[in-house]
Amino acid sequence: MNDTIIEFENVTFTYDSEEGEAPKTPALRNVTLRVKRGEFLAVLGHNGSGKSTLAKLCNAIYTPQSGVVRVNGLVGDTEEKADQIRRIVGMVFQNPDNQIVATIVEDDVAFGPENLGVEPQEIRRRVDDALRAVNMYEFRLREPHKLSGGQKQRVAIAGVLAMQTDCIVLDEPTAMLDPKGREEVMSTVHRLNEEMGITVILVTHFMDEAVDADRVVVMDSGRIVMQGTPAQVFSQVDTVRRYGLDVPQATELCHALGMPGCVLTIEDCVAQIAARAGGDAG
Amino acid sequence: MSYAIEAIGLTHYYAKGTQQQVAAVDHVDLAVERGELVGMIGHTGSGKSTLISHFNGLLKPSEGKVLVDGVDIWRDKETLRQSRFKVGLCFQYPEYQLFEETVYKDIAFGPGNMKLPKEEIDARVRRAAEFVGLTPALLEKSPFDLSGGEKRRAAIAGVMSMEPEVLIFDEPAAGLDPRGRKDLMALIRSYRAETGSTVIIVSHSMEDIASLADRVVVMNQAKIAMQGTVDEVYSQGDALRAMGLNVPDITEIFARLHAQGLPVPTNIYTVADGVRALQALGGRWRA
Amino acid sequence: MIGDITIGQYYAGASVLHRMDPRAKLAATFWLIVVIFLCKSFFALGLITLTAIVAVLLSRVPLKMIFRSLRPIVIILIFTAVLNVFYNKGGATYWEWWKITVTEKGVNTALFTMVRIIVLVVISSLLTYTTTPTMLTDGLERLLSPLKVFKIKVHTLAMMMTLALRFIPTLIEEIERIMNAQKARGADLETGGLLQRAKALVPIFIPLMVSAFRRAYELAFAMTCRCYTGGEGRTRMKQMKLAARDVLLLIFCAGITAGVLVLNHFFTAVI
Repeated sequence: MNDTIIEFENVTFTYDSEEGEAPKTPALRNVTLRVKRGEFLAVLGHNGSGKSTLAKLCNAIYTPQSGVVRVNGLVGDTEEKADQIRRIVGMVFQNPDNQIVATIVEDDVAFGPENLGVEPQEIRRRVDDALRAVNMYEFRLREPHKLSGGQKQRVAIAGVLAMQTDCIVLDEPTAMLDPKGREEVMSTVHRLNEEMGITVILVTHFMDEAVDADRVVVMDSGRIVMQGTPAQVFSQVDTVRRYGLDVPQATELCHALGMPGCVLTIEDCVAQIAARAGGDAG
Repeated sequence: MSYAIEAIGLTHYYAKGTQQQVAAVDHVDLAVERGELVGMIGHTGSGKSTLISHFNGLLKPSEGKVLVDGVDIWRDKETLRQSRFKVGLCFQYPEYQLFEETVYKDIAFGPGNMKLPKEEIDARVRRAAEFVGLTPALLEKSPFDLSGGEKRRAAIAGVMSMEPEVLIFDEPAAGLDPRGRKDLMALIRSYRAETGSTVIIVSHSMEDIASLADRVVVMNQAKIAMQGTVDEVYSQGDALRAMGLNVPDITEIFARLHAQGLPVPTNIYTVADGVRALQALGGRWRA
Repeated sequence: MIGDITIGQYYAGASVLHRMDPRAKLAATFWLIVVIFLCKSFFALGLITLTAIVAVLLSRVPLKMIFRSLRPIVIILIFTAVLNVFYNKGGATYWEWWKITVTEKGVNTALFTMVRIIVLVVISSLLTYTTTPTMLTDGLERLLSPLKVFKIKVHTLAMMMTLALRFIPTLIEEIERIMNAQKARGADLETGGLLQRAKALVPIFIPLMVSAFRRAYELAFAMTCRCYTGGEGRTRMKQMKLAARDVLLLIFCAGITAGVLVLNHFFTAVI
């Protein structure tokens, strides 16, 4: 089987401008990107860098003006093919309130599979499994508006899982959450990637969320400007900063001290500094 | 001399008189000095948002008092009205309060409600816009045509233009990217330096609070759990973690280095301080 | 706190009434409401009251909750009672003072009307206590599905109802937030004449609309991503199957109707 799940080839995309307005500048310019099956890809960039647009092109909500986006080899140029693509790639958005449809948690999770025309017993099974996978099973009969932000996002993730998509694209899922909610969502996403082999594309501007990714892509004014493993990307501290981003504090500290290599975690940082400490400079 | 804001035995119950009665703020005593910058931290639901909503009279205390300039804001209607102008409150995602046809008119909304003379309103709008870095050209645009970051700054200017003695920010940087966040923190720092006003910042970001605050107040379960200088509060890592809070990564790194027996200080809250401390210590790195 | 409001007023439970088909419950509720208005004699009214009491007991919804649903109508009850007492004259005179006379007929009609309203509210709130809003809209959608013949988009209507129910609490929270933000900027929402107050609402109304449109846009987007293309080809996780008990419920309703009509016939009418 082909190991590429999503493929961008020279994709340029411009949002429609309103009547009487000057044409907009392209949100994506000549983007070429391959996402491997089972990969955890983090897409970084400041606000307006094009990273959200990249996410929205992954499941045929928008079609590029030039270039092509393929999902499992499919191009979403007709309604039917777009529908097929959405069965492969699911989306989770930033605002947890604006993607929950039903007034009861389990009914919301069932919404996707119901649209797909899945058999009722099978929906029930998928909904229960999905809610267990995000640790929200005990909340299945609750009303979504009474949940915390982190819990709502996990319900949204369960809604995608119940559709049994191969890939899940999360567009700044933690931007509106408190630290606890962020932690809940991130550990859930990592578990799904590791245990269920689901391909994850995480769009974010929190550097610490990108540290554990398999690969990091940095975007700026609609272009991919950096890519590589987190260590490869974050080792270029000044370049990352130039794109309006940050690096983890551990990385920043070791970089400022002129230590070679790239340190990403607190543990590494402590070990490396301890090994080098003590007057014997040189 | 009186405090800028003083809370005495401040208590607020939700669902008062029912069986579900809960104290969102429970007998809180807090005094904020004039010109002080107080950082307030606490997990969601710890009561910090409820607490600050009392400082300009949006919520009425169930028990206790709020004094602004030494006067109980609930003394009479006029005092209450004046307290809204003395204490500016900038909510989370303030851009959702924008409504006027132009940015200028929106920033003028607050001063207009204060019934100031026209020239004074104009001067205030221009001052506030300059503070937040909005160009005069932007003032004539519709607020809904601004970029996300500009909207946020326009909304903040809409509170600053009332020129309050105390300015309270609830999660001012929520949803901003790292650069936007840094710019906003710099903006707050320079606003305070230039106006000398009292500032209270509520934030989840221990890093931001560490770099800004004179004093840190930690809320937990409707009460003030800790307060003191950044040093005094951040040195209690275990107690903070028990309340669902974390110290900045850099502080954690130095705590662990110290625990391993390295002679490094533990009161490190910014990367720059950390670099200096290690350079002073010496080792195989750039001095 | 406003954020604590409950949508509808579902009381989670597993009683017979909870398990019944929402279509049967909807139909029975409407049926019984009609029957309430058919009642003419105290005995007929007694029969339907008894039915309501039995239904409450079957539902295992605490009496406190039932009384709570009656609280908002207390004023209406008092008002109708007073009107009926003073406007209906006839039979023995119980009490007389100045121009006010209280007669047998007045008291009877007042009592009758009060009981009728109470039973009506109890029966309809039992429906919402024992049925989730989703099941209600689903049930309504399926009950009304024959209307498709007349090109009425029943599914779309039901989906709109669900989304409205879902977003009412969210928007109420939003209004509260916006009001606080504008009050913090010195907006005066409480004083002034009608025109001034209407004008004072602009700073609340506009941000609310902007936000509602943004939410609607994002929601539509999210629904498309979840393969929503309207009612066609959709299945439902929660199936509705008419069970024996649902048929029994409807037969029971027919029985009550017959009973009421018979009792009306044999006893003197109050109204």
